[in-house]
Amino acid sequence: MVFKRAVIILVVLAAMVAVFAACASEEDEGDGGETAQEATGSRLQAIQERGRVVCANNDSLAGFGFLDDAGNTTGFDVDLCRAVAAAVLGNANAVEFRTTTAAERGPSMQSGEIDMMSRNTTWTSSRDATWGDFAPTMFYDGQGFIVRKADNISSALELEGASVCVLKGTTTELNLQDFDTQNSMNLTIVPFEDNTSANEAYLAGQCDALTTDQSGLVANASGFPDPSAHVILPETISEEPLGTVVPHGDDQWYDIVKSVMAMLIYAEAFGIHSGNVPSAETGDTAIDRLFGLSGSYGQDAMGLKDTAAQDVIRQVGNYGQIFDLHLTPLGLVRDGSRNALWNDAPCTACPKGGQIYAAPLR
Amino acid sequence: MPAFLRNLTYEGVPVWRHARIVQWAFQIVSGVAAVSLVIWFIANIGLAIDSRNIPFGFGFLDTEYQTPIGEHVIPYDPSNTYLYALVVAAMNTLVVAVFGIILATILGILIGVARLSSNWLVSKLALVYVEFFRNVPLLVQLLFWFFIILALPPVREGIVLLDALYVNNSGISVPGPSGFSSGAMLVIWMALAIAGIALGVLVHRKLAERELAVGGVAHPVLAGWAVAIAVIVGSWLILSVVTGTSPIEWSAPAPEGRFGRIAGGITLRAGMLVVLAGLVMYTAAFIAEIVRGGIQSVGKGQVEAGRALGLTPMGALRSVIFPQALRVIIPPLISQYLNLTKNSSLGGAVGFPELTGVGITMTQREPAISIFILIMLSYLAMSLTWSLMGNLYNRYISFERSR
Amino acid sequence: MGWARANLLNSRFNTALTVIVGITLVLVLWFAIRWIFEADWAVVANVGGRFLIGNYNSDQACPGNDCFWRPQVSLMMVTFLMGMGWGVAGSKLMRNLALITVGACVVLAFLPYSAERMGMDVRMLLVANVASMAGGWAFARYTRFGTVKWVVILSVVVFILSLVVLQGASFLGIQAVDSRQWSGLQLNLILAIVGIVLSLPIGILLALGRRSHLPVVKWLCVTFIEVFRGVPLITLLFMSQHLVPLAFPATFPRNDLFNAGVVIMLFSSAYMAENIRGGLQALHPGQAEAARALGLASWQTTLFISLPQAIRNVIPAIVGQFISLFKDTSLVYIIGMLDIVNIARKAVEGRVEFQGAAPEIFLFVGIVFWIFTYTMSYVSRRIERNLGVGDR
Repeated sequence: MVFKRAVIILVVLAAMVAVFAACASEEDEGDGGETAQEATGSRLQAIQERGRVVCANNDSLAGFGFLDDAGNTTGFDVDLCRAVAAAVLGNANAVEFRTTTAAERGPSMQSGEIDMMSRNTTWTSSRDATWGDFAPTMFYDGQGFIVRKADNISSALELEGASVCVLKGTTTELNLQDFDTQNSMNLTIVPFEDNTSANEAYLAGQCDALTTDQSGLVANASGFPDPSAHVILPETISEEPLGTVVPHGDDQWYDIVKSVMAMLIYAEAFGIHSGNVPSAETGDTAIDRLFGLSGSYGQDAMGLKDTAAQDVIRQVGNYGQIFDLHLTPLGLVRDGSRNALWNDAPCTACPKGGQIYAAPLR
Repeated sequence: MPAFLRNLTYEGVPVWRHARIVQWAFQIVSGVAAVSLVIWFIANIGLAIDSRNIPFGFGFLDTEYQTPIGEHVIPYDPSNTYLYALVVAAMNTLVVAVFGIILATILGILIGVARLSSNWLVSKLALVYVEFFRNVPLLVQLLFWFFIILALPPVREGIVLLDALYVNNSGISVPGPSGFSSGAMLVIWMALAIAGIALGVLVHRKLAERELAVGGVAHPVLAGWAVAIAVIVGSWLILSVVTGTSPIEWSAPAPEGRFGRIAGGITLRAGMLVVLAGLVMYTAAFIAEIVRGGIQSVGKGQVEAGRALGLTPMGALRSVIFPQALRVIIPPLISQYLNLTKNSSLGGAVGFPELTGVGITMTQREPAISIFILIMLSYLAMSLTWSLMGNLYNRYISFERSR
Repeated sequence: MGWARANLLNSRFNTALTVIVGITLVLVLWFAIRWIFEADWAVVANVGGRFLIGNYNSDQACPGNDCFWRPQVSLMMVTFLMGMGWGVAGSKLMRNLALITVGACVVLAFLPYSAERMGMDVRMLLVANVASMAGGWAFARYTRFGTVKWVVILSVVVFILSLVVLQGASFLGIQAVDSRQWSGLQLNLILAIVGIVLSLPIGILLALGRRSHLPVVKWLCVTFIEVFRGVPLITLLFMSQHLVPLAFPATFPRNDLFNAGVVIMLFSSAYMAENIRGGLQALHPGQAEAARALGLASWQTTLFISLPQAIRNVIPAIVGQFISLFKDTSLVYIIGMLDIVNIARKAVEGRVEFQGAAPEIFLFVGIVFWIFTYTMSYVSRRIERNLGVGDR
């Protein structure tokens, strides 16, 4: 009773605030429309004047974005930002990393301070609508469960009545809730602030299962004291396409980021890695076009240097190299997974069975 | 000096030297400056929200939240609205604050008294406690408590006492009310219970007065409690016998399902235990110092006088020193209560879904600025309540003094 | 034995208490010591110098990794000041503080790290603090600058100079380091020093404003104090990054560290104002009346009579607030800044190999904090004793 009344009072208060907010925003509608960038020129210009790409990153997820012993931010996601910096500034290190907590990433993107976010962010429609535009998916993930082998579970549907550890403020948390509701699993959902806490709680037996992206499960398990005592269940309960995000309102910049992702993918498909980037015509028109040696894939329209891809691949490497450098050591297997290439570009008849693909660069 | 300036006088004094005029001019200037600064800020914010397309508004409050909240003291379902979810989170904050304040006060008084103990070991240990817990950031302590709670045995190997108390690293479970069979009966019983307490207080007063007037021992405290408890328990029993069901349904915790998770009863979940432990241990160190200062502010002669009247050391503490020390203790104590309430906002860092933690989760999908404005207003309301209580006490004290 | 009888076993109750507490203590100590020996401290060693300067010298903050000397120079300026303080005051307290600080530097210089992790240059710079402290002491003793006034002036100069050295600028010939990259203990210290130095005067102004008989001034101050005291610091910090920048025109330069520092400072000054108000309230009205009778103007009365006594009376509360402020600097985690606590968290979070080592590293960070805050409260007690507060 008391609570209901409190709720009603709060609703009334909130309604008053909302009315006030509505009135306030109506007054402002007249002079709207001008964005911060329109006043100062395009984002690309701003970046070139600044000399740095501002990149929102994570600093606490093994493999994707973390602090190494020297205090540098490294990882798969981080290299995507470095690739963009190499393309637009010719220097992969010209990145200003802005560590954002999970809570901050929405507001930070919305403030327009950030040029791109590469922070293991799942592409969802609501995020696309409110945070910014998503570039091609660079890593396909899906949410899974890890359980103790001693519990003899072979399917996620046997988890009825279990307590499940999950990360707070993530899509995995929402997916777990849906999974629980749909299958009436009667789960006890225990959300945690960070990966370490969730892992420790699972290992200590506070939870019977731990759920996060499959990649995260593999990485976590490799750090467990006895990895063989745990088993990852076969089901994935969600789609988690991870990609980079750019703020709304600058199509040129969005195109650049998309093209850089395509460069990483096609370089691998063409068999070009950081060690064999051509600087003179090779005779293969597709390769020559990619590296600005003949023809064009629209560099001028995007405001990129003709040879932008040379800088990118030479300094950062192709998709496969980035993957091998950061994710393979965690125990993630690429061959045969969705993160393999769709095929080798020179041979359209050699499917690789993966989903890593981008719009052709031509 | 030009003539017109010389003529600019008020009550025979040049206006720029007339105290009242200068003061009013200063007030008007500072007031206008402050107000226009605030207006400028708000205008800028409005403009930025509009031109940079920063989401703002409160329309999301009545959409479904659809996100789990790990621990809640009032019923919660993911299909509830954002607004209700905020209320759930605020209740979590309130419950932690209330329990935290009660426990921290008890522990703080114990340690404050122990600091002054004549027992060397006890007083030194209390000193170590205070110096350690006061000087380490609460955030670090919370992170540490998180691991201490995890060190308890897991649920299937947990400690079970008499099939009623379950202690494990998922929480502590005890039997508790699970609902009530009929609202009318609950109201009747609660009315009787309140009457019982009132009766107990009355008995206590009467006996205490007689003790003073007649002398001799009348055990007013004991008698008061006995009467109150007798009425409460008696009415429960009578109601149960008459209607066939008890006013409140009771349930005991028991393991359930293949994972042996505890169901039924009341469970204090691990997240809340961590936050409570951290807040209580931290705040108790401050309260201990306040209590020690309060006791020391009472003259030594008072203790000696109390002892000379035949009171035991504990008796002297209780009936001579504490009532006097309370006047010094309460204002800073209330400010500690305020701090504890606000510090509960760190609970989010260890995953406890209090107001700030839930708010941060909400910012994933809804406008962060709006959410944080709501959160800050809620905390402000709680804090102003504490301030009000502090001011009322101050007024009461000065009234008592002037009497 | 006599001591034990007097202090531990002087009554039946006390004897029982001693036995119970003693047994508990032994058990707790036994578990604690066993844990300390079983724990894996490699994670603490691995973070090493990053506890102190965080990512300041990383490739990303300072391409070429040649920025390590800049925090060191700041540290040397501080040890110089401490030496000077010792020379001027000549007290045991200042001597101990200076010697312990320099001693800690020397100990750090001899940590058994490999040459790649900790080069000879870093070690030399650490040892050089001995010279700089001795220099400060000699400077105070043998020149005419050995007065309190000069220590204060030089402190301000050193603080500004440190910020300039840390920030760097291309026209000075040293590359700029983005203030977002200032991290580790130095971030806590910078935020705490800014807060401590500025929150006291602002707090005094607010306290006087709150006691003012001018209604507009009074209510402005009351509103400010109650609002800043009424909300948790982490919500204010969050707003400092997401709402405060919007309150200024888009062309205003933005500095996250500055915003965070200002918010911490204002939060602390609201508390400070309440402490000082308490001190002013406790003053006997006779003091102000006597000053008035002597013909002092009201601002003179406040400045020379009321305030000094009020502040002297509430020194413990003020230092307590300083300590709180220092502890509160750990809350910048909410805006992604890497203070020492957050460095510790990241050291275990992103690193699979250190996943189980969180308690060790948090305990270590707790002890680091404790050393600083305990020193602060120790100094406060000494000052209190020197001023004779409480023996009137």
